[in-house]
Amino acid sequence: MSEILTTFFNLDIARQVFPFLLEGLLTTFKLSLLIIPLGLAGGLLLALLHTQSHYRAVRILVNCYVDFFRSFPQLVLLIFVSFATPFLGLDLPPILSLAISFTLSTSAYYCEIFRAGIGSIPPAQTEAARSTGMSAAQTLAHVVLPQAVRNVTPDLLGNSLEIVKGTSIASVLGMSELLHNAQSAQSVLFSPTPLMLAALIYLLLLWPAVRLVSNLEAAMRLRSRH
Amino acid sequence: MDATPSLIHTFFNPDILAKTAPIVLASAGQTVLLGFLIIVCGIGLGILLASLRYYTRRRTVTALIVGYVDVLRALPPLVLLIVVYFALPYVNVSIDATLATFLCLSAILSAFIEECVWSGIAALAQGQMEAARSTGMTWSAAMRHVVLPQALKIALPQITNRCIATIKNTALGSVIGFNEVLGSAQAASSDFANPTPLTLSALVYIAMILPFVLFSRYLEHRTGSH
Amino acid sequence: MQKRIILEAVGIRKDYGALQVLKGVDFRVREGELVSIIGPSGSGKSSMLRCCNLLERPTAGQIVFDGIDITREGVNINHVRQNIGMVFQQFNLYPHLTVLGNVTLALRCVKKLSRAEASEIGMAALAQVDMAGKRDAYPNQLSGGQKQRVGIARAVALHPQIILFDEPTSALDPELVSSVLGVMRKLREAGMTMLVVTHEMGFAKEVSDRVIFMDGGVVAANDTPERIFAAQDNERMQSFLSRFLNEK
Ligand SMILES: Nc1ncnc2c1ncn2[C@@H]1O[C@H](COP(=O)(O)OP(=O)(O)O)[C@@H](O)[C@H]1O
Ligand SMILES: [Mg+2]
Repeated sequence: MSEILTTFFNLDIARQVFPFLLEGLLTTFKLSLLIIPLGLAGGLLLALLHTQSHYRAVRILVNCYVDFFRSFPQLVLLIFVSFATPFLGLDLPPILSLAISFTLSTSAYYCEIFRAGIGSIPPAQTEAARSTGMSAAQTLAHVVLPQAVRNVTPDLLGNSLEIVKGTSIASVLGMSELLHNAQSAQSVLFSPTPLMLAALIYLLLLWPAVRLVSNLEAAMRLRSRH
Repeated sequence: MDATPSLIHTFFNPDILAKTAPIVLASAGQTVLLGFLIIVCGIGLGILLASLRYYTRRRTVTALIVGYVDVLRALPPLVLLIVVYFALPYVNVSIDATLATFLCLSAILSAFIEECVWSGIAALAQGQMEAARSTGMTWSAAMRHVVLPQALKIALPQITNRCIATIKNTALGSVIGFNEVLGSAQAASSDFANPTPLTLSALVYIAMILPFVLFSRYLEHRTGSH
Repeated sequence: MQKRIILEAVGIRKDYGALQVLKGVDFRVREGELVSIIGPSGSGKSSMLRCCNLLERPTAGQIVFDGIDITREGVNINHVRQNIGMVFQQFNLYPHLTVLGNVTLALRCVKKLSRAEASEIGMAALAQVDMAGKRDAYPNQLSGGQKQRVGIARAVALHPQIILFDEPTSALDPELVSSVLGVMRKLREAGMTMLVVTHEMGFAKEVSDRVIFMDGGVVAANDTPERIFAAQDNERMQSFLSRFLNEK
């Protein structure tokens, strides 16, 4: 038992690699802070196109976009963008490949969430706002969107959580985020401890988020039942 | 040279397609089979856990199930995969990449399924179970014929979404060397110095996942129109 | 000669944590009788009824059904429940099954009847409650009164020796109440033994063989309807009854 512990959680090694892993964690944070806002913005834009446009063609196009990128595994998209673009004579730095591929696919998910949120607001709300002389844009910004976002907060958080988890695949491109650093340390030190430590860090940071999302979902369910 | 033919020549080169398609499609077969097994086991285990959580009055059992679910929801799938695949050999448990992919992805799926089936059960009125029991049905018969059919129906959209995520995650197997579509396409692509196999792998994944995406759209449409 | 006793509660007590809901309840229901339980809300009527088929386990006391103490260890409660039907205030129909499916589910998976046999019995039960025409409808397509009649048919189909009713008309719009009470009268004429928690005082007065007045977790009175509704000696019952009778 203690042998297993010293293999999987060797304190000396843990102490040694901890700063290196923290560096990786910082990169993970930065990547998340880059990708989530991009995805949110893209998703909101698509959702507005879908719900506010008078053209059927626009709605169909948005649907096609969303379905296409929901069907495209993140890793496949990432590999495709980063290994195929050089054949076009483009040499994208990994961070750009990552930003492009993540924005393409996460905006599809965020779009669905925003759309559901906007759809959950009864038309009477818009009518009431318009009857007071507010413009369509004002109504959207001050009446519809605030309520819509509140209704889908658990889903928005849940999707953002998935994105933070998803940044671990940036390790495949050799970006030195948490998982990548743990893997390098593991192969240099011949010890699984860095991997276990990285898993533990993910767990400690993301568990509260998982609980939060679960509790918010449960609260939403209760609210919608009454 | 005209841009369009050269694009097609690069990304969808017929010669290279002919040479590499058999390899990529063969691994597609494997991926589909593995994906199917993961979905069957993950959903089965998830339903079992949710039922156990509903049945048991013991706090410890509930806490264990919730802990299992939370951990697997918090850990990025790739991290779990890498920990299982690279850390276990240090204690002389070597595990084959296919098996590792199967185990990790089934466990993750079961956690998400438990969560959504459980909330489906919680959304049902307690009276359903009592009505069934009052007619002399056993707990498990009431579960099978009355509670689960309704809970699964409530959870179906989320279950579909998790199946989509699971099939996408099979691509992660390539990172530990499971020879799924993306892995074999990457190998072929570097052998031929051409991205055509990658394009093919993207198409294969989209073909595998799109039916699920369309099904989830159909479900959304159906509940939306009520 | 007195009729056989079908159901007997002996010293039933039920605690929810520190809250004592039933504090020693005794009564008997004989074959073919309709016994009404009335009383203020919170007095423990539902808890008592749910103890009768062990949806709630009594903290102490016995339920003797057809001569057998079903609160004993080792009794196959699922077997006993086939013979004790129950009708719920909120109907509790299965929304994923048709009307006929609701009525035949237990026949098929408890009594293990074939689809054809179960349908035949189910249709007969539906005919008894005038719902045969709706066999293929789903619960959400029915009115409250229709739902409750299906709820009754679900209990009747198992040919139980007694049916427990927990405020079967309390969730209904006033104009739908009479159809359900009508079905219950018909059941009684056909000889079904019934134990009915109700706030329908007119029904309790006209149709019951005996009325049990529960108050604060005990049986405060147990007598013929004539005597109960004429009683002058019980102050709490007086105030309870006057509230209800004046409403009508
Ligand atoms: N499952 C339960 N847990 C805790 N208290 C309960 C439960 N069921 C009923 N009670 C309490 O028991 C008391 C009697 O309830 P009930 O039997 O439903 O009365 P009635 O049907 O006469 O209105 C009430 O105070 C109620 O709050
Ligand atoms: Mg009650």
